[in-house]
Amino acid sequence: MFSKLAVKNVGRSFRDYGVYFLTVAFGVCLFYVFNALETQSVIRYLAQHPRANIVGAIQQLIGILSVFVWVVLAFLILYASGFLVRRRSRELGTYLMLGMERWQVARLLLAETAVIALTALAVGLALGVVLSQALSLFTAGLFAVPMTYFAFSISLPAIGKTVLAFAAIFLLVMFYHAFTISRRKLIDLLRARRVNQELKVRSLGVSVVLFLVGCVLLAVAYTMLLTRGLLRVDELFWVMIGLGSLGTLLFFRALSGFLLRLCQTSKKLYYKNLNLFILRQFNANINTTYRSMTVICLMLLLAIGITATSVGLNNTVSQMADQTVPQDVELSVWPEEDGGTMDLPALLTAEGFDPEQQCSRWITFPMYQDENGRSYLLQTDYDAYAAAWGKEKADAFVEDWRIQMVSQETEELSVSRWYFLADYAGDRQEGEDAFLAAVSGLKDTGGYSYTTKLSTWMDLMGTKVLVLFIGLYLGVVFLVASAAVLALQQLSQAADSAQRYRVLSQLGVSRRMRGRSVDIQVFLAFFLPLALALVHAVVGMTAANAVIAEVGKVDAAASSAVTALLLVAVYGGYFLATCWGSRRLLKGG
Amino acid sequence: MEQILKVEGLCRDYGRGTVTHAVDHVDFSVEKGEFVGIMGPSGSGKTTLLNCISTIDTPTAGHIWVEGKDITSLKQKQLSQFRRERLGFVFQDCNLLDTLTAFENIALALTIRKTPPQKVERLVQETAQLLEITDCLNKYPYQMSGGQQQRTAAARAIVTRPALILADEPTGALDSKSARLLLERFEVMNELCEATILMVTHDAFTASYCHRILFLRDGAVFAQLERGDLDRRDFFRRIIGVVTELGGDQNDVL
Repeated sequence: MFSKLAVKNVGRSFRDYGVYFLTVAFGVCLFYVFNALETQSVIRYLAQHPRANIVGAIQQLIGILSVFVWVVLAFLILYASGFLVRRRSRELGTYLMLGMERWQVARLLLAETAVIALTALAVGLALGVVLSQALSLFTAGLFAVPMTYFAFSISLPAIGKTVLAFAAIFLLVMFYHAFTISRRKLIDLLRARRVNQELKVRSLGVSVVLFLVGCVLLAVAYTMLLTRGLLRVDELFWVMIGLGSLGTLLFFRALSGFLLRLCQTSKKLYYKNLNLFILRQFNANINTTYRSMTVICLMLLLAIGITATSVGLNNTVSQMADQTVPQDVELSVWPEEDGGTMDLPALLTAEGFDPEQQCSRWITFPMYQDENGRSYLLQTDYDAYAAAWGKEKADAFVEDWRIQMVSQETEELSVSRWYFLADYAGDRQEGEDAFLAAVSGLKDTGGYSYTTKLSTWMDLMGTKVLVLFIGLYLGVVFLVASAAVLALQQLSQAADSAQRYRVLSQLGVSRRMRGRSVDIQVFLAFFLPLALALVHAVVGMTAANAVIAEVGKVDAAASSAVTALLLVAVYGGYFLATCWGSRRLLKGG
Repeated sequence: MEQILKVEGLCRDYGRGTVTHAVDHVDFSVEKGEFVGIMGPSGSGKTTLLNCISTIDTPTAGHIWVEGKDITSLKQKQLSQFRRERLGFVFQDCNLLDTLTAFENIALALTIRKTPPQKVERLVQETAQLLEITDCLNKYPYQMSGGQQQRTAAARAIVTRPALILADEPTGALDSKSARLLLERFEVMNELCEATILMVTHDAFTASYCHRILFLRDGAVFAQLERGDLDRRDFFRRIIGVVTELGGDQNDVL
């Protein structure tokens, strides 16, 4: 009988459950896509690559990040279901009044949640599989990955992980509600929809102190980040994260307490048009508001930080390709016995790679060493290098190896290895193939090593693809998640406020003024968290750029531009859609 | 005497094919400072008539003049402005905003009319005193009794000094003591502030506070009663008399 009532209830309050359902299904979908990264064709392509260990590292990174994503989703779902129970508390109160036991009502709620959870899980997983394939196709096209690496695939481990993760979340939600229902008073349940939320501590002085404490905590976290750097993950790192999060929470908690008081002190502001109504609307859900603002702010920080860093890193990687390998080929060979003479061009020609024909320019020279292991180069060889590739590259070479110049051979110096540097003539790939074949045939050497521009470039491309792909992917996921939560929250609040707007209309408030009031409320919800997230992000980016600067040049302009574009497109789009949707909801009423 | 409201040949039809004449050729007028009641059984067209006057509904035919201005010819935007500036409302379910305190509910009527902010507090306090709700100004609607809520709604209606206050069954949801309190305040508003009040009710006791009563049946005015110099109790008996005399729907009227 209870399962019947539960299923019927879900069907009946579909409009209410719609918001909750969407949130959960969206969360499931997100979690699956994130964990099923291994099925992405880009990753599979890279797994074929010699540097496959990168993929392992990425899997590990995703494992860590998905814990974080889990926490975020758990909060999100708890929030959405809390909203739902609040909306229906009057109905639940009626059950109690009709004589149902509390544990029966709690059980009813559990059954309802279970029905929703199972449906949402199934729908979310299906969506996730489809979305993951679509993303795979899209990125494969973007990064010119051969289509042979694309195949429809479902990641079973990811499904298992998703189901487990959400089962845990639902258990949490169920116990939380069973607990709250069993503790609430009947009278509170019956009139819950009419009661405005109030902060526990209401005095302005306490709010000011809390605000200051929040700012101090944030300042401490910022200082720690800037002095310690981003990459030292130890206990203090987590303390820093904790301080930052707590600071953010206090900031919004105090700000929500402030905002109304502050505006009330200015009669000119408070008693102007609909201002007092707007502020009261904002304050009516204050407890929910400041918590969700904190979560949204942190999610936005992640979105902004990850996107900007990955784009910045990507450009740095591109620059590195040119700097590390100035020639198409750099071959160094150790002679079989110390001080031996080698004619590298002749040896290569014998193996089928003739520098005279296949290279546009080339040089070969010995590198000398003294007893202390210091390297020396003949002045004439340096001049030849400079003549072939310019003084700049020659200097860079000398500097990289800390070479000292000598005018002629002396007794103390012996040849440590022979160099062969060249640029291919004609088709690069043909030259590369011929060279690689020839090198593998080299005999009677004490060992050799080579770098070619083409292979380095491939390596770096791999890294670049990965950094950009994962970065943008995570960035978009967090951005969409936070925007979606805000949109859901604002739209459901608009539905709750329909009656108030009807009264305003009867009092003669024009449609334009009502529309403006809606817009301001949505604006506050969207841009208060964004403002603090931007401050966080600027500090975070400074720390991240310091890390990047150690390996290459930082391209701050490009990364900010891409991030800003993404932010405007996704977040701005959601903002406008929410304004439009809320206005429509209120016009209909 | 200045004429505040004039209704002429007002009709409001509903439905297609078999048309229901909810309001059928109604003529009447209200002078400045009058306290007029409209009585009638359920379905007699009282509320439809009031909705037309309050510009919430549009009449099928006929004209309504408020302060000499024909409001049936106003555009949507002008209607908002007209409601905001010339009318005050008191509804059966009081329609206070639950997110605002009583004070703010009253103040809102002023702020949307762009009243200078420094005047707002004084005006609200004065009106609150008049309606004897000074004690609960800082309470939210759900913390007040039904009578206090309704008096707050009345304060919201009168604080802007409108040309005409429209009240739709204001005592409908109140017990007799709260109803008496509210109606006494209506009298004070009427006498002290010279507020012109048009009140719809089906309750003879509530109606006995009016100066003049229009009786509506099947969408048309079929009787009118003036209080003149009569005591309220005598007027109450007269109302009952009329209702009984006209017979028929007496139980509905009471």
